[in-house]
Amino acid sequence: MKMLAKLGCRLLLQRGAQLISPRAAAESPVQLLGCVRTLKKTTWFEEHLTEDNQTYLRNLMAEEYRKQTASKLNPLRDEPWPRQDWTEGSRRVGLVAVKLGMAPIWTKTGERHVVTLLQVQDCHVIKCLPKEEFDGHTAALVVGGKNVSPFHRSEEQMEVFRNAGVPPKQKLTIFKVSDNAIIKPGTPLYAAHFRPGQYVDVTAKSIGKGFQGVMKRWGFKGQPASHGQTKTHRRPGASGPGGDPAKVFKGKKMPGRMGNTYITAHGLKVWRVNTKYNVLYVHGTVPGHRNCVLKVRDTVLPTRRSTLLNPPFPTYFTEEEVDLDEDLYDDNLFVHTEPSVTLT
Amino acid sequence: MAVCTTGLGKFATTLRFCRKLQHQNERLFSTSMCRPAADSEPPKFVPPSKPVIVDKTQTVTSLRKFLSPEFVPPRQRTVPFKFFLERKDMIRRRKMLNIPEFYVGSILAVTMADPNASGKTNRFVGICIQRGGNGLGATFVLRNIINNQGVEICYEMYNPRIQKIEVLKLEKRLDDNLMYLRDALPEYSTVDPEMKPVPFSPTGEVPVNSLKVKMLPKPWSKHWERPKFNIQGISFDLCMTPNQMAGAQKRAQPWREYDMLREYDTTELEEQILKEVQEEMSK
Repeated sequence: MKMLAKLGCRLLLQRGAQLISPRAAAESPVQLLGCVRTLKKTTWFEEHLTEDNQTYLRNLMAEEYRKQTASKLNPLRDEPWPRQDWTEGSRRVGLVAVKLGMAPIWTKTGERHVVTLLQVQDCHVIKCLPKEEFDGHTAALVVGGKNVSPFHRSEEQMEVFRNAGVPPKQKLTIFKVSDNAIIKPGTPLYAAHFRPGQYVDVTAKSIGKGFQGVMKRWGFKGQPASHGQTKTHRRPGASGPGGDPAKVFKGKKMPGRMGNTYITAHGLKVWRVNTKYNVLYVHGTVPGHRNCVLKVRDTVLPTRRSTLLNPPFPTYFTEEEVDLDEDLYDDNLFVHTEPSVTLT
Repeated sequence: MAVCTTGLGKFATTLRFCRKLQHQNERLFSTSMCRPAADSEPPKFVPPSKPVIVDKTQTVTSLRKFLSPEFVPPRQRTVPFKFFLERKDMIRRRKMLNIPEFYVGSILAVTMADPNASGKTNRFVGICIQRGGNGLGATFVLRNIINNQGVEICYEMYNPRIQKIEVLKLEKRLDDNLMYLRDALPEYSTVDPEMKPVPFSPTGEVPVNSLKVKMLPKPWSKHWERPKFNIQGISFDLCMTPNQMAGAQKRAQPWREYDMLREYDTTELEEQILKEVQEEMSK
């Protein structure tokens, strides 16, 4: 059906008619005329627009986004769903953030650590999937982050965002959540959802390395550079036991495409939260390149879950906690507004 | 002595003594108390003007338009917002610790908190041979020769353990990187640890020390004669033959100065950042 449409029933599409099945085409000669085969090319939104209209559309989209996000913060909006208290063992939502870069930090005793800056840009809850709809065991929330232009999104995707009343997002992720932590679709999520001192897991697509050999991909040792090696320095060597299995087992480590897969870094401490610009300072390194979109959630590690006592549940609402400082710091972190460290 | 003096002499000394006492007494009490009967109203007490102590040994804040090189972001894919956040932290630290203006070739003294040192602080004096890093991770390397041993320490400018950075002598050299001092005669890297700060003017040009350094015999740690390093501060005619110099010039890449893709013009960016930093520091 879709192929026929692409093949060039542009006239029919413009009329808003339904897609024609081959049988129907044979029956109606008028519709056959419309089924002219044109070039198989995808068009882009500005192809047939004048320059003024292009700029107008872009500005219009930006304005619409601002209005949509503002309407979510309007006090006259619909009531959020009733809040429930945090209990031991309840799981709450995570966020979608953008990796900005890395910076050094120092503790009060003078030790140096490195942190990654993650900015939460336009994170909204898109959809709520209750237990029965999702998998029968846990409820789930679909969260989207980082606004993106609507011109390169399909109609089905746009419908999902329209139902939530939110601009289209670059990344949509599912967070498995306990029943008492569901949030109304359309609620904005902020960086203050996480507090300094707690631990998080960050999932992102690692940097793609392309087709890589066995030494880089799997860490094989290779062969010596000299002492008579003929044309064999980075090869895998033997591929299995020998005559008994007389085969190579499935899953044998071999060269192939490396990177561009989802990797999770567990147990990363949150050192600092900037509530004004929605930036999280997370310990160590995080998979992904700069400006990539990541998924951040509370740790799954059992030894680190004890630090999560009385978090903002189900999420941080700006109206409820108005008097939050611009910067929240961990207790051990050296803040640059203090005088220099003196060791005793 | 008492036998020599005549009676008149005795009288004179006693008179002098009494006058001195009176004078001292007058000095002990305030002037208003001394002449209450002379004027009808008591004169208002005018306290003497406080003496202004100008400590010439303290470094004066420079009035030159100087932007520390770690504020200028490198050409990267990072969003400028991240540099903005880092700059805010850098300015906060600069408000607590005065990081003075200095260049490669200046002599600095750094006091740092050290758990293993006596008195828990450690002062190191040296000549700055390199400034590296960007943002909060900016570093500078100080070199000195102590007990015939060359010592180089790389300090992080924004490390909270640093308690004081003093510029003992502000000057520039012919190069931005003085790593060749490792292969130069030790006299060029020795700095007296007890050196007194040399006063410098906060306005005007920074003095450039066009010293050409004498090197130890080859081999050196790097081929400093090669045009890649572009070193002006070594006197090559004393250590290399013209043939060797010509051989080094073979590795020249004269097309690099015409390569437009390598150009990174930071003048506008620097002006903007300088304005921002000056505004924030004056708050």
